[in-house]
Amino acid sequence: MSTELVRVTIDERDVHVPKGTGIVETALAAGVEIPVFCYEPRLGAPIGACRMCLVEVEGMPKLQTGCTLTAQDGMVVKTARTSTRAAQGQNGTLEFILVNHPLDCPVCDKGGECPLQDLTFRYGPGNTRMSFDKLTFEKPVPISPTISLDRERCILCYRCTRFSESVSEDGQLVAANRGALSVITTFEDVPYTGAFTGNVTELCPVGALLPTQYRFEGRPWEIVDVPTVCGLCPVGCNVHATVREGKVKRILSRNHPEIDEGWICDKGRFAFTHLRAEDRLTQPLQRVRRHGLEPVSWEQAVDEAERLLRGARGRIVTALSGSETVEHAYALGKLLRVGLDSHQAMLPEEISGGLDAYRLPLSAIRDADVVVVLGDVPIVERAPVVDLWIKAARRNGARVVDDANDPAVAEAERVVLVWSGPGGRGGSTVAKLAEKLGLAGREGCGAFYLPETPNGRGVADAWAACCDEEGEAVESIGLLVVSGDEAAADENVRALAEQAEATIVLSMFGGLSAGWADLVLPGTGYLERDGTFVNLEGRLQRLRRTVDPPCPDELEWIAQLAARFEVDVAPYTAAVFAEVSERVYGGLAFGEVGERAPLRGYPEAPERIGREALPEPPQKARRGEIRLVAYRPLFSGAAVERVTELQFQRPQPELELSADDARRRKIATGDLVTVGSNGSAITLPARVNRRLRAGIARVALEHANGLHGVVEVAKAEAEVTA
Amino acid sequence: MAEHKVLLAGTDEHDLTQLAEYRAIGGYRGVEKARAMTPDELIDELQRATLRGRGGAGFPMGRKASLIDRKSAKPKYLVVNADESEPGAFKDREVMARAPHRLIEGCLISAHAIESRDVFIYIRGEYLTEYEILTAAVEQAREAGILGDVQITVHRGAGAYICGEETAMLESLEGKRGQPRPRPPFPPIQGLYMAPTQINNVCTIATVPVILELGAEEFAKTGVPSSPGTAIFSISGNVVRPGNYELDLGTPMRELIYEHAGGVAGGRELKAVVPGGSSVPALTPDQIDVPLDYDSLGAIGTFFGAASLIVVDDRCCMVQLALRSTKFYMHESCGKCTPCRVGTRWMVQILESIENGTATHADLDLLDNIGDNILGKVLCALGEFAVYPVASYLHKWRDEFVAHIEQGGCPFHGSSSLDGILAPSDQHAQTPVGEEALV
Repeated sequence: MSTELVRVTIDERDVHVPKGTGIVETALAAGVEIPVFCYEPRLGAPIGACRMCLVEVEGMPKLQTGCTLTAQDGMVVKTARTSTRAAQGQNGTLEFILVNHPLDCPVCDKGGECPLQDLTFRYGPGNTRMSFDKLTFEKPVPISPTISLDRERCILCYRCTRFSESVSEDGQLVAANRGALSVITTFEDVPYTGAFTGNVTELCPVGALLPTQYRFEGRPWEIVDVPTVCGLCPVGCNVHATVREGKVKRILSRNHPEIDEGWICDKGRFAFTHLRAEDRLTQPLQRVRRHGLEPVSWEQAVDEAERLLRGARGRIVTALSGSETVEHAYALGKLLRVGLDSHQAMLPEEISGGLDAYRLPLSAIRDADVVVVLGDVPIVERAPVVDLWIKAARRNGARVVDDANDPAVAEAERVVLVWSGPGGRGGSTVAKLAEKLGLAGREGCGAFYLPETPNGRGVADAWAACCDEEGEAVESIGLLVVSGDEAAADENVRALAEQAEATIVLSMFGGLSAGWADLVLPGTGYLERDGTFVNLEGRLQRLRRTVDPPCPDELEWIAQLAARFEVDVAPYTAAVFAEVSERVYGGLAFGEVGERAPLRGYPEAPERIGREALPEPPQKARRGEIRLVAYRPLFSGAAVERVTELQFQRPQPELELSADDARRRKIATGDLVTVGSNGSAITLPARVNRRLRAGIARVALEHANGLHGVVEVAKAEAEVTA
Repeated sequence: MAEHKVLLAGTDEHDLTQLAEYRAIGGYRGVEKARAMTPDELIDELQRATLRGRGGAGFPMGRKASLIDRKSAKPKYLVVNADESEPGAFKDREVMARAPHRLIEGCLISAHAIESRDVFIYIRGEYLTEYEILTAAVEQAREAGILGDVQITVHRGAGAYICGEETAMLESLEGKRGQPRPRPPFPPIQGLYMAPTQINNVCTIATVPVILELGAEEFAKTGVPSSPGTAIFSISGNVVRPGNYELDLGTPMRELIYEHAGGVAGGRELKAVVPGGSSVPALTPDQIDVPLDYDSLGAIGTFFGAASLIVVDDRCCMVQLALRSTKFYMHESCGKCTPCRVGTRWMVQILESIENGTATHADLDLLDNIGDNILGKVLCALGEFAVYPVASYLHKWRDEFVAHIEQGGCPFHGSSSLDGILAPSDQHAQTPVGEEALV
């Protein structure tokens, strides 16, 4: 858009806007609302389909759609407020929209928060002239286990199909048939599958596309939308949790233009029901000889924890998950480090402050000339919304390359590096690359590292900041403290538990710790916590308690225990944050973290803690060799495993192969292939992916059977069937 | 006056589907002439000829060519609209079947004018024979080296009327669902694959070699000053000799109906003429002395359209005719914009209630008002095409509509014959599942 300002008159009000601004936005600048249905700037170029935004423009004989018009100097626009013709046009359109729309608002989940309902009240006719049968369709149709479609309510604004075509670029939602019989559908009725499908339920301006989880679950006057931040991946999308009677009923996006632009992934949207999973722990469990784990009171549990901690002073090792809040990690660290002289902790991955000089908001990816994607883990599996930003960059004309030596990198003005893969040393590798390319201080240039944990950086900061002393490495583990479900599910942590004399596990779900913990303390989920997270941009964000947890908050019993070891830990988040902030965040007050947090600079980079989850494989396979990348899929983990309706999203057992490697081995998509290394082998169907580099093969971790690194790949011998 | 065959010149005496025969009557000399000119000179020549677009809108072809952004770094495309789908129109079909090389020559000249190397001819899917003739002719021209560096692709449509709308045609060519785009941007600036694109009707392009042959000045002397040249008129309905007649523009409509087409069949009375294909306002018998050209027809409130006359005799019930045409547009509405998608179906429902005698007087005003809410409010012209004819029937034959209401049914008592007047929609349409539930 140009920077030249033009004068536009809207309903006799003059307004100056940059030339080319849409008339809908121009009118808003003049304080005039032009109603819209199909118009949604995030979906790309306007399509002028619904005809709700008709306006009269001086010098043009026909009414024009405000959404497709752009501001030109001297343009005089009259909206329905001042033009009878525009008002007639708009009323006519609204009447048409309502002709086949059922009058079922009282039982429609969208009722009360429905743009069509609102605009009908504001602009619509009070009566209908339609006396014939309305169109009827079979309803509701599940287009996936998470989304249902009511074709009678659909007003065919094409927002959903445009999202599918030009934002998530999955092309699965389409319109079929023609004219009045047009319907939204998926191709051949295959369930709408992908990381971002749920966004169409928010884009839909009527009650046509609705999340099945929310069906008949709440009315607008009974619910509260609590602003918080998603805690399931390192992006930290801003969300609203819809709460009714103390239960989370729905997750909605809460547009942070620098982070998520209002798009969230299906894991963030639909996985919240894990809060009410059947094996959710609400009471502490203690191992009783020969009886296994038995429920005990909180008093008993805290006493037992005290006993175990006291007996292992200086010999306690902590396995963190990277999903703790900054405050939980700080409080736990202070208890163990200051009170019990046990400094050793591990995270599932390495964390580094090396990237701090190359920080950018995620939205800068969209404006890049070149995006270099390094590492071979699919971005969408690790930090889904980043994938949307890269797609937006590509649509904007950016080159997306997988090699920093690509000539396009040297020529480009704005270069963004994204590291998505195993290795990378917590971002320090990509930071070094950024330094080599001279990206420091260059406008629009920067680098991102996609960690595996949602708050690894925040946890590492907090752990480092809570004590000034440094300890020795523990030789024999007296007590292993396992914090969180990710750590509890980690095989390396379990191996460590074998060596430890005793183990305390802090976990949301019973299944994870049944066999090996001595004491299990129920944990809270991110939607139940007040506190802060640091996302992959290095942005400090505020989590809010959207519902009360079914057990005490971690801070409560950490503070109790701390008191028994003469350590001062406040049971209040704000007080703990104040302490952390003093040391890490420049004294920022808890109340100033912000509902749409800005990207703040870091005063100092903390030390590195943590370790690699897997031994780092060689970066480049030798010619002809194939390196297997076994990635953790987006739809996996403790939360997803407990949500029935998300199971269809879990990855298929298949091996992704580059076109090069497939051709060399005469393998086509669908062929069975054998993948082997050191005597163990798995057989999977192959899928040829043209975007994959030669020498790389990919498989979801749950189908890898422990294989990784250099592997042999061959077409499976045809099975002889009798 | 006799027919004046220009587009169809030589088709009666020769087999012009054969390259050699077309060459023997001077074919492809125009393209040689054109290629000796610069694109600027050529566009200037076309502009001076003031050839108006034969697709319906009548926009001057030379001016269209001059709007192409030839400085653009993107490729320039020429798209020929051969998706002739307007009920009553069959003129392009005859040109493609009998003078395909004239169309190809026109493509090559026009491509040279806009510096295009890629020509797409988007042909109606049902025109299989014409497709085969045209592709064979393109192949002959290619083998003879006439195409030069120009690639001509003949692309078959899949049976959607909307793809005759120029921007929906571009979407369809790009492999997308055929639905119109908002304008601006207009195709000469951003058309096929977002590149500058010229779109013309078959008859427009097939006239271009004639301009080169005669010279712009000489060409402009034929027809009438505001609409030079000839046009092929498709005439159908209740006439003695339906068919295509190539006449100078400005020929009186009466002459076409009564001399060339032999008048109303069976000696019956003329009731109405729908002059531009089924989508335009109808004329009453006292209006048929109008000269057949763009401005004269415009002056009496109708359109030249696709130069396709549908002649209706006094047996016809105008409500049934309205129903037949509206059903077509309802069926062909693409479903993108609201007024057309919803309004056409609603119009059919009202027309059916009028025909079966359950409507009231208020329904006539409602029908009229729904039309007003479609006209000028739709994304493309399809919705308006549904309204124009019906509004004209309602205004000019209102007593007939009123009679339906007052007599509680059709005053023709089933005697109305729509034989030969447009095709019923179920005859030209492959009915999707559930269509019967549409109204």
